[in-house]
Amino acid sequence: MNKTYNQKAWFFVIPVFVLVAFNAVVPLMTVVNYSFQETFGSNVFAWEGTRWFKQILHSERFHASLGRQFIFTFIILLIQLPLGIAIALTMPKKGWGVPVCLILMSMPLLIPWNVVGAMWNIFALPDIGFLGNSLNSLGFDYNFTQQSGDAWFTTILMDVWHWTSLVVLLSYAGLNSIQPAYYQAAEIDGASRWDIFRYIELPKMKKVLTLAILLRFMDSFMIYTEPFVLTGGGPGNATNFLSLDLVKMALGQFDLGPAAAMSLIYFLIVLLICWVFYSLMMKNEGRT
Amino acid sequence: MIFTNLHAATNTWNTVGKAKEKGLFDFDFIKWMAWTWPTASFFIFIAVCITVMYFWEKKDPGGNPRKGILTLNTTRGDRLFVSLLSAAFIHLAWLGLTDFNLWIASFLSSIFAIFVFRYV
Repeated sequence: MNKTYNQKAWFFVIPVFVLVAFNAVVPLMTVVNYSFQETFGSNVFAWEGTRWFKQILHSERFHASLGRQFIFTFIILLIQLPLGIAIALTMPKKGWGVPVCLILMSMPLLIPWNVVGAMWNIFALPDIGFLGNSLNSLGFDYNFTQQSGDAWFTTILMDVWHWTSLVVLLSYAGLNSIQPAYYQAAEIDGASRWDIFRYIELPKMKKVLTLAILLRFMDSFMIYTEPFVLTGGGPGNATNFLSLDLVKMALGQFDLGPAAAMSLIYFLIVLLICWVFYSLMMKNEGRT
Repeated sequence: MIFTNLHAATNTWNTVGKAKEKGLFDFDFIKWMAWTWPTASFFIFIAVCITVMYFWEKKDPGGNPRKGILTLNTTRGDRLFVSLLSAAFIHLAWLGLTDFNLWIASFLSSIFAIFVFRYV
């Protein structure tokens, strides 16, 4: 059978193409161009070849911030996923508690990132902040501005406070979409609470959880604003994550070439991990 | 030319900042993009790849979906993406781990791309 193709629809896609070209393709092309050159501004450039890539790949500073970034993201996922699922399991399924819980859960997500950073900065200050002061009164030696362990603790706690809700909301949606028949069947079979979770709820939540992992991975891997406001990457370089380090290199030191090379490597890592996640998500979807 | 820094590949520290003859298409609005022939060739290559994919799709519609050795469902667009992404990582690994000529990495990437298009 001969299909008739109507190519007019392409015209409707043109605005999107133009928009994406201006906000993504053109800047990315520029980054690629910069990553092979040296500049001191005024549009004067000198070719450096692959020097910046070699420099970044051999740079201990880059290895350190990449390592910190992976550890941070790993800890975040390790805490937020189980915690989010646990909270979603305890949330009411009907009645007045539903809207109350949903609104409470959504609230941290609605706060702008820099406000979250500023809030937690003040909250955690060792002398006047509620958290910092309380911990010190209880006898803990807590000072996130001077001790790297405390800085990590505060950054992770802040991220958990800010983003666990996302996992909760996604898991809750997944849980609510399970038909009551499954629970009835489990009850007849005499399944324990753990069995119900392991063999009904968890498999049924697989899709939303994959989405949650992907979103949480992306956000925590590219985290910038909150640690920038909270710790500024300090004390020393303790919480100097990849994006913080990148901005320091690009805008602080004005090393545009190395920063461009670093951002391309960063981009490729994100692209690879997203592709792996996407492929795993789509693996059993039967796209063919 | 539209690529302002067309000469940049030969623009070393000895010539930097010196006045250059302005080309016919030497647009000021694009200067900040710092185009060079090597980087432009890279993007031209990507554009050619996409164009070839377009005509390939015209000739043989449907994207030739299959389940390859990674047990993933892939179309030929996916295979191009995987080839390009692995090419990027092969080049990075080459730069990071060896001091040999980068063209060897490009050659290896092409071999790997053929492998991906054949089996993934």
